[in-house]
Amino acid sequence: MRTLPFSLTSAAIGAIVFAAARLVGNDYLFFAGYVVLQYVVLATAWNILGGYTGYVNFGSAAFFALGAYASVFLNKTYPLPIPILIVIGAVISGFVGLGMGYLTLRLRGAFFAIATLALAVVLQTLIINWSYVGGARGAYVIRPDEIEPIGSYVQYLFLLMLALAVIALTVARTIERSRLGLGFAAIRDDELAAEASGVPTLKLKLIATTISGALMGMAGAPFPYYIGYLQPSSAFALDYAVNSIAMPMIGGTTSWVGPLIGAVLLGSLQQVATVTISSSVNLLIVGLLIVDCVIIAPTGILGLIQGRRTARDVVADPAVFALLFVVNVIPLYFLHQEALTARPLEVIFWGVLIFLAIARGRMIGHPWLIVLPMVGAALSIVPGPSLQWLISALLLAICFAWGLLLRPREDAARSGTP
Amino acid sequence: MTALLEVDNLSKRFGGFVALDGITLSVAAGERLGLIGPNGSGKSTLVNCVCGTLASEMGTVRFEGATMNGLTAHERTRRGLARSFQLPRPFTSMSVAENLRVPLLYTVNARSAPHLSAAAIDERAAELLSLVGLADKARQLPRDLTQVEMRKLELARALAADPKLLIADEAMAGLSGTEVADIVALLIRLNERGITIILIEHIMRAVMSFSQRLVVLVSGKKIADGAPDIVIRDPEVERAYIGE
Repeated sequence: MRTLPFSLTSAAIGAIVFAAARLVGNDYLFFAGYVVLQYVVLATAWNILGGYTGYVNFGSAAFFALGAYASVFLNKTYPLPIPILIVIGAVISGFVGLGMGYLTLRLRGAFFAIATLALAVVLQTLIINWSYVGGARGAYVIRPDEIEPIGSYVQYLFLLMLALAVIALTVARTIERSRLGLGFAAIRDDELAAEASGVPTLKLKLIATTISGALMGMAGAPFPYYIGYLQPSSAFALDYAVNSIAMPMIGGTTSWVGPLIGAVLLGSLQQVATVTISSSVNLLIVGLLIVDCVIIAPTGILGLIQGRRTARDVVADPAVFALLFVVNVIPLYFLHQEALTARPLEVIFWGVLIFLAIARGRMIGHPWLIVLPMVGAALSIVPGPSLQWLISALLLAICFAWGLLLRPREDAARSGTP
Repeated sequence: MTALLEVDNLSKRFGGFVALDGITLSVAAGERLGLIGPNGSGKSTLVNCVCGTLASEMGTVRFEGATMNGLTAHERTRRGLARSFQLPRPFTSMSVAENLRVPLLYTVNARSAPHLSAAAIDERAAELLSLVGLADKARQLPRDLTQVEMRKLELARALAADPKLLIADEAMAGLSGTEVADIVALLIRLNERGITIILIEHIMRAVMSFSQRLVVLVSGKKIADGAPDIVIRDPEVERAYIGE
């Protein structure tokens, strides 16, 4: 698909999402959806530098906050409509990205990551001591309740973020398929060889930091209007840095689809978990999910889909099987203690357990092992007496024990080992 | 013959260690030069300094009469100086054919000549792959290649930059006798097409059959420069290789 049809298609999908959300008619949906979309933009932006070019940026929050504080500053001096603020945020963060690139791109690997983290700390310190934009106290941004012709202001912000997500994805996809994308990939794979092949590595890396920074600034510009009260600790929150790295990693870093999948998946999960259960269990769940992803799909969900056989082989290893099994049972226990609304979240972990059972079952020649977690999942998720939950726990224990103790069938063992 | 590459009094030190000590060397257009020397004698450092991967402290490198001091590696590649790496450094996430697209897009298309179309680039990549005998591996990833094929890919990628001067840094290490002969024949064929080649090699049979002129480096100094059969009998060269 060419770029124009692609952006039109994604705009159409965006319009459908917006229309569907309006049909539901709950403003909270827009409130939560805004955050997910914001992460789509941040993850995509991070991936242009981190995934395509191979430079891990820990300072995403700095670029995001820069966009946000540019809005706060202008809101105080000369109020402008948000779309213009977005452009200004992009320009400022883009310039800072360029400057940061000049200063830090001689560094590679962990050193570059630390330098970007330092940039975030320096900027946060500056903002805390700048009283005009609120300093450590924070700044209020009074926003109107309604806006013509959309109605609710949250819906307006949601729509803006939807547009930004479409823009970010289009930019990422265009880069990926262009000469620029090939140059980025060459730098990621081997910088010395890239330079020897005629790739102007410094120039390309500066382009990457600038585009990446600008997109992050765009995502930050409407944020003060969304949250209403901006303080340094929320604008520079570690969540932004961690999520914008974790999401592309989980989705897959080599394609624009990866950050999209990761952001929608992890972003929605975080939103659901925050509402249905305490935010500390939320952290536990997200953490365990990242552990799952790192072991099962080190190249992201995309890599898993593209059928690298290695994933199944890895989890079929008895030690990995045991570890992952236990890791995925822990959140099930916690989720089950919570209200019924948290039940749907269990599906994810049951899904991983079923995957483990498939892999291990095929490896040892007892593919029926998969039945145990499947029945367990059905019993656990469907509401009923507590006996049901007991049975499903028992099934899990049996699956775990048999997965480890059953002797591999000779024929399977022979064909299973290459 | 006019000099294509002129290295004048080039020196490079790493801390207190003098890796190159006043190297002066000139390579004529169309020449086949062999560069030999014991391990650690500075051959690869010389290549790195000539290609701009390392900056030298002293001396100048002129290419086609113009000084290249201060030019980055990719600018030197664009001027027509390509190199293959001693240890193959393929772009691991790209297919073999895509590996060649990088220099084609970034070097050949960056020169002022009319740009190649996408189809022409694919065609050129396929042509180069069949030249080195990797045509049937075009869609594979470098990790699926053998060490020998990796070296061929390294050579093909350097050639894709359409160089005037090719520096092949130990392109034959680890290859079998017939494979060495294949590569030497390939390099001679390329030379007949007008590419000047500097061959850095330990396999003496290959060097002797390839080179028109031989340069010997020992501990960062050039100790011999001349016709291969004369250089090889030079007492100083013998001493460096065999000892007294």
